[in-house]
Amino acid sequence: MQSLPQRRNRIVISLTLAALITGVIAAVLWAILAAATTVSDSGSSRIDILHLLRMTSIQAGLTTLISLLVGTALAWALNRLRFPGRNMLIGIFSAAIVTPGMVVAFGMLSIWGRSGWINQASLAMFNVSIGNPAFGLSGILLAHVILDGAFAARILLARLDSIPQERLKTGQSLNLSPWTRFIILDWQAMRGTLPGLAAIIFLLAFTSFPIVLLLGGGPANQTLEVAIYAAVRQDFDLRGAVLLALTQIGVCSIIIFSAAALPAVPSSLGPSSTKSWRDRAWALGLAWIVLGLATLGFVLPLASVLVDGLAAGLINLLSTVSFWHASATSLIVGSISALLTLTFTLALSLGRSASASQQLRIVLGLPAYAYLAVPAVVLSLGGFLLVRSMGIAPGAAAPYVVVFANALLALPFAVATLGPPLDTIARSRGKLIRSLGLSSWQQFKLIEYPLLGRDVGVVLALSFCFSLGDLGVIALFGTQDFTTLPLLMFRALGAYRSDDAAAIAAILLIGTIAAFEALPRLFERLAHARR
Amino acid sequence: MLVVDRLTFAYRDQATPYQFSFDAKPGEITAISGPSGSGKSTLLDLLAGFLSPVSGTIATNGTNIVRLPPEQRPVSLLLQTESLFEHLTAARNVALGLSPKTPRTETKVAVDAALNEVGLSGFGARLAAGLSGGQKQRVALARTLLRARPVLLLDEPFSALDDGTRGQVRSLVVRLTSFHCWHTILVSHHIDDINAVAHRHYRLDNQKLALV
Ligand SMILES: Nc1ncnc2c1ncn2[C@@H]1O[C@H](COP(=O)(O)OP(=O)(O)O)[C@@H](O)[C@H]1O
Ligand SMILES: [Mg+2]
Repeated sequence: MQSLPQRRNRIVISLTLAALITGVIAAVLWAILAAATTVSDSGSSRIDILHLLRMTSIQAGLTTLISLLVGTALAWALNRLRFPGRNMLIGIFSAAIVTPGMVVAFGMLSIWGRSGWINQASLAMFNVSIGNPAFGLSGILLAHVILDGAFAARILLARLDSIPQERLKTGQSLNLSPWTRFIILDWQAMRGTLPGLAAIIFLLAFTSFPIVLLLGGGPANQTLEVAIYAAVRQDFDLRGAVLLALTQIGVCSIIIFSAAALPAVPSSLGPSSTKSWRDRAWALGLAWIVLGLATLGFVLPLASVLVDGLAAGLINLLSTVSFWHASATSLIVGSISALLTLTFTLALSLGRSASASQQLRIVLGLPAYAYLAVPAVVLSLGGFLLVRSMGIAPGAAAPYVVVFANALLALPFAVATLGPPLDTIARSRGKLIRSLGLSSWQQFKLIEYPLLGRDVGVVLALSFCFSLGDLGVIALFGTQDFTTLPLLMFRALGAYRSDDAAAIAAILLIGTIAAFEALPRLFERLAHARR
Repeated sequence: MLVVDRLTFAYRDQATPYQFSFDAKPGEITAISGPSGSGKSTLLDLLAGFLSPVSGTIATNGTNIVRLPPEQRPVSLLLQTESLFEHLTAARNVALGLSPKTPRTETKVAVDAALNEVGLSGFGARLAAGLSGGQKQRVALARTLLRARPVLLLDEPFSALDDGTRGQVRSLVVRLTSFHCWHTILVSHHIDDINAVAHRHYRLDNQKLALV
């Protein structure tokens, strides 16, 4: 297409970057493979890979199924209901994508745990104990569904919002029943997104680390990620870890390659504007019930984190040096990885939107998937083996590996956020841009940046929050001198200092939500000021 | 003179290729009409350089421009809608017609003069999104003034306008064309527009142009 502005520099830069990222991933894989063949067989490994695969698949499959059901119901309810605070509530559900798994796991314990709110209430009112559903498979599923159900709801809500006004008017004039409307309008709108969404949720659950680490309660309910961590840190079974990592990469790659054939899932993190629809009373009642339950399920654990954290240990925590040290580390790591993710995303997406050739577009799309194929703990393990084989002390390399790995972590979501709108600009305004002979810089400064300011903020927020909440990468690399807040929290839990852990969880939660809400707005403002 | 000679082009899987031949004089409006889907926009895309012909020539004042990329062609473009960047001010949109190296003060003077010439002085600071359809087209014409290219391509420029504004923009195009000696190619399927402004009228049918 010659109506695309010719941007050879953009394409060259993004190809170079794609090659660089691929090179690093290849080096990491090579380090893992090399370790698999050279690490001496120090006794027999106790790891049962088949069992792990089966358990992880069951867990991820159930998570996917339940999350899609919950997400569909919640999206439907949000689409039908109008009430003050609706935008804020949707904003909170949207934040599920960045809410640290550790925080949710901790909230789960204080709501659903043995001494949690629900068990206490049940004991007080009926003298019946509900046991401890926060632990084991049920706990993992609950925590995953809280996050992934809300994530699914946000994406599906955007699909419902996109139903054309005319179609709704026609439906309304035919006086469709709620069920008929769902089948012929809503389901049609959501159907295309479901397979891709299912693949994403399955991957997220399959590679879940902090939730499974905290709630799994032992080998019966491990994911491969947790098993790798346990093999390295607890059993010093490097060979086992490497075999697990290879299995993990294999399974993830299969899922990604099959998902690549599915329709893309738009990231949908903007505000929701739904056209109104007059519904039957029973349907509205049902919508209110669904919304109420979902809100309780999602908000209660997080609220309990805030209550527990801000009440008990905060003052005490604020007076420890290690807390301030870890906070500074987390802020620096988060900010640098956010900038790195933005740079990667812009370079890749600008190059991609300037490419007319389909093959080139595929090549430039691949690095975004790199992290999904090589998840946090595996990437971290590979980085660990790689720097060790280069003769560098892992402690010295830790900050670089953690920043780079965290930047890659957010890349798939970041590219899904900035890529499509950049493509749209290139396609819809390409002729005008090209015939005016605008330079690449003019195109970016005058057109792309002002239109995408908010998305730039979303990318920064996603990456900052992912990195702020990350445990998977830091768990293998962290040292006494190089500790982030999640690692500090994990250590506090391990040492039964649960007041400290609660306070850190509350701070992480406030930090992620604040960044996630503030950064997109800030950048929308900044971009507009440049008009 | 703009002379297009046996300009040949076919989309993939198209049985009979287009073959365009026509000429246009400076200071005149040359209209192209034809049913929807007959290839009018395709012709403009060829002239603007967004599509590459299989063979044939496009000559302005004796120079063949058929190998030039769009940004180097002596051509300005005005589309039915979307001629402006809605998020920029009118003045910014107009200034895009100048080289970015033009000094600030010079740009301001030129932009003000151009906006004045299309009857929009004082509108410079307004966001394009807030302008009416007719005002948008006039801002786009002001930008064309600064670009000072001898060929102006108009693709259905009046179809989104209501009757009153239509007349205004139409007579503005006539005035600018003759004053600046542009070769204006007007694509339209409204016979009223064509009768009102065109000096010459070609009809596009069966992949060929015929003088009416
Ligand atoms: N990129 C394309 N690829 C294939 N066919 C196209 C393409 N663009 C337009 N066409 C076809 O070429 C014909 C002429 O289109 P167009 O020039 O837009 O017509 P007009 O502007 O006269 O309505 C139409 O049949 C259209 O479907
Ligand atoms: Mg057309």
